[in-house]
Formats: sequence, structure tokens, C-alpha cells
Amino acid sequence: MDVITMLKQLAEGMIVTGQIFFLTLLFSLPLGLIIAFGRMSKNGLIRTVSKIYISIMRGTPLMLQLIVVYFAPYYVFGVRFGSGYRMVAVILGFVLNYAAYFAEIYRAGIQAIPVGQHEAAQVLGFSKGQTFFRIILPQVIKRILPPVTNEVITLVKDTSLAFVLTVAEMFTLAKQIAAAQTTVIPLMVAGLFYYIFNLLVAFVMELIEKKLGYYR
Amino acid sequence: MNLLEINHMKKSFGDLEVIRDFSLSVREGEVVSIIGPSGSGKSTILRCATLLEQMDDGDLIYMGEYAAKSVNGKSVYMGKGVLKKIRSYFGLVFQNFNLFPHYNVLKNIMDAPVTVGKVPKEEAKERALKLLDQLGLSEKGQAYPYQLSGGQQQRVSIARALALQPKILFFDEPTSALDPELTGEVLRVIKELAAQKMTMIIVTHEMQFAKELSDRIIFMENGVVVQEGTPDEVFHSENERIREFIGKIEAVY
Amino acid sequence: MKKLLALLLCTAMTAFMLTGCGDGAQDAKSPAEAVSREDGDRTTFTVGFDAEFPPYGYMDDNGEYVGFDLSLAQEVCDRNGWELVKQPINWDTKDMELSSGAIDCIWNGFTINGREDSYTWSVPYVDNSQVFVVAADAGIASQADLAGKVVAVQADSSALAALNNEENTALTESFASLNQFADYNTAFMDLEAGAVDAVAMDIGVANYQMESREAGKFVILDEYLSTEQYGVGFLLGNESLRDQVQNTLFEMVEDGTFAKIAEEWGLSDVVCLTADAE
Repeated sequence: MDVITMLKQLAEGMIVTGQIFFLTLLFSLPLGLIIAFGRMSKNGLIRTVSKIYISIMRGTPLMLQLIVVYFAPYYVFGVRFGSGYRMVAVILGFVLNYAAYFAEIYRAGIQAIPVGQHEAAQVLGFSKGQTFFRIILPQVIKRILPPVTNEVITLVKDTSLAFVLTVAEMFTLAKQIAAAQTTVIPLMVAGLFYYIFNLLVAFVMELIEKKLGYYR
Repeated sequence: MNLLEINHMKKSFGDLEVIRDFSLSVREGEVVSIIGPSGSGKSTILRCATLLEQMDDGDLIYMGEYAAKSVNGKSVYMGKGVLKKIRSYFGLVFQNFNLFPHYNVLKNIMDAPVTVGKVPKEEAKERALKLLDQLGLSEKGQAYPYQLSGGQQQRVSIARALALQPKILFFDEPTSALDPELTGEVLRVIKELAAQKMTMIIVTHEMQFAKELSDRIIFMENGVVVQEGTPDEVFHSENERIREFIGKIEAVY
Repeated sequence: MKKLLALLLCTAMTAFMLTGCGDGAQDAKSPAEAVSREDGDRTTFTVGFDAEFPPYGYMDDNGEYVGFDLSLAQEVCDRNGWELVKQPINWDTKDMELSSGAIDCIWNGFTINGREDSYTWSVPYVDNSQVFVVAADAGIASQADLAGKVVAVQADSSALAALNNEENTALTESFASLNQFADYNTAFMDLEAGAVDAVAMDIGVANYQMESREAGKFVILDEYLSTEQYGVGFLLGNESLRDQVQNTLFEMVEDGTFAKIAEEWGLSDVVCLTADAE
């Protein structure tokens, strides 16, 4: 197999890797915010449930979570599913896991905002929603950018875990090509791809950080 | 009619009785200063009056409208809508300014009138520029809070409170977080407001300032009013504790 | 408090596993029945296979999944008017894939020996043995020479099962260590690098791996670890689908198609399905 063919095949995997990456961020970032609210809720039950959720998601391997999400419909509910559920399970597993991490990052960021910001907004007559979205959240985003960047970079590499459900993302394909061709080149190409992907991620996050650097 | 009326306010934090029985009536154009040692409950009165805290018992009435009413020894607060309207009657200037760091000076001042007061953007901007001009900050509209000195930040926060055109303005130790050389510019602004007959309630440690400016001074200690009267009456009080406190403060400044 | 929490977690997990296993056993019949009822109007046939297992199932130069087993499956589908769905699976979760209905069968150099009661099997179609591959210049000529050596074996593979078999306890215990790896490519890289001294694996796979590498570098020990057979594994109780596939295989043997496909994949020496088996 020549290198061009190999790259072409890996490229298909890259598209899937990109899909897992973007869909995970798209859903886990807002879900994380909701869980963070639950974690800080005045209602003890909601608070405890959120805490347990975060504890389980952070305390068990993501690979195991992917397997559980994929097989749970059958083993828990007895529903037999088609193979199309594979990719859905991967996205679901990643979103549930990353939302837990993002929730804790949001919580730290929200709690770091001085109480005076809430009070100033309240006295000025802002509603709770206006206070959060106009005053608090923009400041939270600036503060949590560094830890979020860390998580996003980890996510790029974690997408390779989708191989346990044999979703044809790049790492799964790289391993299959490597096995068929008895060569390590696909694995090297995969490594290079993850590295370049992460360079891009770091670059974009740095741009955002710069953009928000107009105030302190 | 009194702009503000507080009847028999009581407030505890856990077992600690911070305010035992506090009443106050403020007429339009009056300047009232509240002085007293730390922990005497002055700031708690402001926080209860501005609805940042809820009192345990007592009435809170603005322009004849109840924000809270004492029923069977407990304060019952009005609904969201009423409180929202009442919030538009007053403004509060914080000790630590609490400006919004991600907004420039102009936006800090304009944001509440536009989003809360539904004032058209152009009008709000005009109003903000006029205020900045009055407070000697016309150059600073595009600056961000971190680029300003403490005195400038406090003046912006006064402008922010004024932009909502409140009937009454509260100050919570407005110069305590400032370097001594910066307090003058803030005090001057407050004096100008007094000259314009702005109704104000000021918690402060600046005795000389309180003496010059106030129509009435309230001296508090341990959650109760020890003396209330004209600056003359309070500053020449026979009360041992007041004499001691004023002596100490004046020695420091 | 912590102890209590740990206890709770253990209880919950045990309960989950027990009910999980229980359900699996109880339901073994009912889902199979559900499947068999569908068989009349079956339109697709989903084969689960490990895509890193040439020549039985793997990715070819064009990125297509091919292999001896997949060619057989394709022919079976063509004859039954089914559409073949080639579903690569993770070998570690193959049972869950099968019982959850994500795949219809495991057809992938799947060893019957030792798993007789876990699946509904087709008749064996490949006679496969487990062997040791060593570097030609390592001076290892017999199983006795493996004493004190590092041996590698694929996780959850037939070779591992054979090594863990009581008959081979003495042999396995003589190794310095027994390493489990995820795929054969890594194992051969280890062997090449000298990180392991021998790899235990299927003979067919061993031949394929050795052909695609430098000639004469590796040898297969003459002493076989075990002799075993491959079959197609169906969900326990799913006889109707098994019979349908198996009958088609017999047809293919009779008209020579089976032999032709085996020849295409260079496996004529190991196939064992004859018309007599019927």
C-alpha cells in the first residue's frame, strides 16, 4: 500500500475524529453548565445527585463508560439495538464524561467571581438571568479558559478511545491498517495528526485568550 | 411624605443580634450620616435598606410603598414585581466600587438604564456622557476599570448609580478602600450632590466630612442608636462613648 | 463513612453484575426466538469480526474489509439474498455485541475448542493449531527451550486459552513471564525488537505475518501447543440462522466454491469442511 492511499484512508478517520471532537464540545459545554448549577443548587437533593454524577464520571475510566453506554440499552433495559447506535453511544459517552469535568471548572469559575458583582447587579435592578449572562458568565469564561484548554486538548487525544466500540475514527483505522500491512507507519501518522490537531487547538484557545485580554 | 421610612428593623445572624431596633425617616433633600464603631450594624442597615439582606422584623417603606411589612413580629416582603419597582427608587455606592471589569466606563454606566430601565440607547449614552462630564471623567468613557485609579473608579460607580435617576442614594463607606490622597475627589463629588439637593444616606468614618455635610447624624453602637441629631448635637454630646469614639477617629485623621 | 461508601459501591456493582449475568442466561432463548422469527424476512446479515486478524478479516489496500471469512460470508449472503454487513468489533466485547443483537454471528477465525457450550456453532471449517513463533537465530528449537523466556500472547485469544489449559500448566509456568498484547502487529514488533522471545498464536495468522516480513527471520516451532478448529459462532439457541448459514456452506462445498475461496486466500491446507460432514 502506498503512503497516499494510506493517508486517504486515515483522512476518513480524521473526519470521524473531528466529528466526535466537535459534537462532544457542542453538547458537553452547555450540559456542564447545567450540572454546575445543579452542583451549586439550594435544593439538597439536586446538589447530591449532581455531586454523585460528577464523582462517578470522574472516578471511572472513560473507556468503561463508553462500553456501559453502548451496552446498557440491552443489559439494563433489554432493548436490542442496531449497529447505528455505535457512533451515538460514543458521542453520548464522551458528552456525559466531559460535562462532568466542565461542570467542576464552571463551578470553580463561578465561585471565584466576587460576591460584589452579584450585589452590584442586583441593586441596579438586573434579574438573576441578566446578572448571570451579562455580568457573571463573561468573567467566568475568561477565568476558566486555561483549564478548559487543558480539557479540550485531552479530548483530542481521548477520541482515540472510541476504538473500544470500533467506531472508524482515525486511531481505530490506524491500528487496522497497521495490522493488515504489518507496519507502524499508520500509527506514526496518527500520532502526528493528534499533535497537529492539538497545535491548532492551542492556537485557537490562545487567540480567544488574547481577545479576552482587553480587561483584567 | 417621607422618601424612606424604616420602622423597628431587627436583624440577627445566627445568635448574633446585629440590629436590635432601628427606625429612620428621611425627607426629600435630606443628607443623613450614620457613624459608629465597626460591628455596630451600620452596614447591615444599608444592606437591609437596599434589599441585599432581608431583615427579620420591621417595615421598609419607600415613597409610601411597602417593600416589607411587619406581620406578627416578622417582616413579610412584597412580590418580585413590587421589589423591582422599589429598587428603581434607590442607588447604592459600594465600598469596593464593584464596577463590571469587562465593560468600559461608558457601558458600566449605560448598561442598567438600557437593559433594566428600557431607556433608548442614544438617550442613555447622552445621559452617561453628561454624568461623566459632571464628575470630571469625560476623557475616560472608553477606559476599562482596571485602567483607572481608585478615586476615578469610585466616581464612575457614583455615575453608574446616578444614571438610573434614583430618588435616594446610599453610600457604604465610599472612601474606606481609597488611599488618603484620593478620598478628596470622591468627597467633593458627594458634596456637589448635596448642593443639588440629592437625598443621601452615608455610612462613613470621615467625621469632618459628616459634620460639614449632614443634616442629621446617627451614632450607632451594638445594634442600637445611641444618639441622633444635628451634627452640632452629636459632636458636642455628653455621652461618654460618643466623645471617646469621635476623639479616637479625629486623632487618626 | 468511607468504608460504608465502599461497601455500598461493591454491593451495587455485584448486584448489577449478577442481574446482568442472570438476564443474559434467562434471555438467551427469547432473543434468539425473536431473531429466528425474523429470519423469514431477513434482509441483512451482520458479521462481527476483529479487523486486525488477517487473513480471516482485515482492512485491505483500498480500505475495504476483506478476508477468507468475509469472502465466505459474502457468498452465503449472495445465495440467500441478504445484504452482508461487515461489522468490525472489539474482541474483548464480542459476547456483549452478540447478545445485544448488534451482530448476528462471530465469523473470524473463531476457535470452537473450549467454547463449545457458549455459542451455537456451525460445523468446523478450518483446522487450526496454536504454535509458537520465535526468531530464527534465537536458538529456541523446542517447547523445553522456552523455559525462562518471555512469551507473548493475544489477550482473550485461543492461544492464551491453550496456555491456561491444565495440560500446559508445566509449560506455562516455565516461562519467565507471559505477556498479553492487543494485536499481532505489536507482538511481532516486540519479537523483532527482542522484547519478547516467542509469540503464541494461530498457525494461519503466523504464516501470514511471517510472509509479509523478512524471509527466514522467524520460525514456527515444530511442537504445536494445541490443535483446534474454527467455526462460525451464533447466539446460543439461534439454531435456525445457524442451520441456514451452514446449509449454504455445504452447498458451496459441493459445487466447489468453498475450495476456490480457500485457494484464493492460500488456506487450502487448513480448511477441513467436506461434504461428508453433512
